[in-house]
Amino acid sequence: MIAETLSTARLTLRKPLAGDVPAYTAYCMSDRAGFVGGPFTEAQAFEKYCAMAGHWALRGYGRYVMVHNGAPIGHVGPLGIDAGQPEMTWTLWDGAAEGKGLATEAATAVWDHLRAQDWPEMIIRILPDNAASIAIARRIGATQTDEAAPAWYEGALTFRLRREVPA
Amino acid sequence: MTVTFAAPTLETERLILRPPQASDFDAYAAFFASDRAKFVGGPIPSERSWRTLAQEAGHWVLRGYGRWIVTEKGNDAAIGIIGLWYPEGFPENELGWDLFDGATGKGYATEAGRAARDYAYNTLRWTTLTSMIDPANRASAAVATRLGATYDYDFEHERFGPVQIWRHPGPEELI
Repeated sequence: MIAETLSTARLTLRKPLAGDVPAYTAYCMSDRAGFVGGPFTEAQAFEKYCAMAGHWALRGYGRYVMVHNGAPIGHVGPLGIDAGQPEMTWTLWDGAAEGKGLATEAATAVWDHLRAQDWPEMIIRILPDNAASIAIARRIGATQTDEAAPAWYEGALTFRLRREVPA
Repeated sequence: MTVTFAAPTLETERLILRPPQASDFDAYAAFFASDRAKFVGGPIPSERSWRTLAQEAGHWVLRGYGRWIVTEKGNDAAIGIIGLWYPEGFPENELGWDLFDGATGKGYATEAGRAARDYAYNTLRWTTLTSMIDPANRASAAVATRLGATYDYDFEHERFGPVQIWRHPGPEELI
């Protein structure tokens, strides 16, 4: 059973709520969304947030919203578009939240939880010029592979997270 | 805090309207990959359809209402998606209907549309309701007409382009 809420030292991770839409929309309309196909319009942002919320209903798992000091600051967690391996994702919505290790803290907590639920492996896709995100992938223990990206995320590098197997 | 995905199930003479679920994906994606989806944003590849089916489910979470998967009584296979929408970028609350291949010509859109509209008026206490229709989509305009809706105004939708907004009879006109 995948938890709907997780806690870390500085963050609460919970499912998406309607009240997050303004902060998420601001992110989607900013240049920060350029790493994931954006910037997007307000209407696209709403549709994308609906999809993030509805993912939980369809799959029983999904991306968590990172809440820091009471405010939603990003999302983190598994994305399962098709029958393949779910993808681990993380995004800080505002540049002001960067540089504090919050995304690493959140991604570590989610991966620890999923590993504890016997998830053996996840993929991560990151555009090659997104150095901050690549650094997080390495910090949480992912290794780069030479697998090609899907058509909807052309040019992305592929990393893999693998649950440690006892020797 | 737990977020509840609280979509009620509705029943009509011949149909069940229930929340979207993962097992609906194949039928949903087949429709949206087909030429029949040309009036409603398609055709689109399967990856896009996964995201839009998730959007349909998530609209319930964010707005508290949304569209239902339509099934025939006694068969849980999805034959369409019909219900209440207000995504960002729509001018007003809308009643939308998409029937998948093989489900048209039986009056199902009208039957399910009426149930969804009754829910909007009687449960959500809405006072008016529109439907957004591509001007070339005669089948959809025919459903709107059967439901008593009439053309109201033109609208330019960001993704769908020029559309017509049809207005349904209000709750007091349907009593």
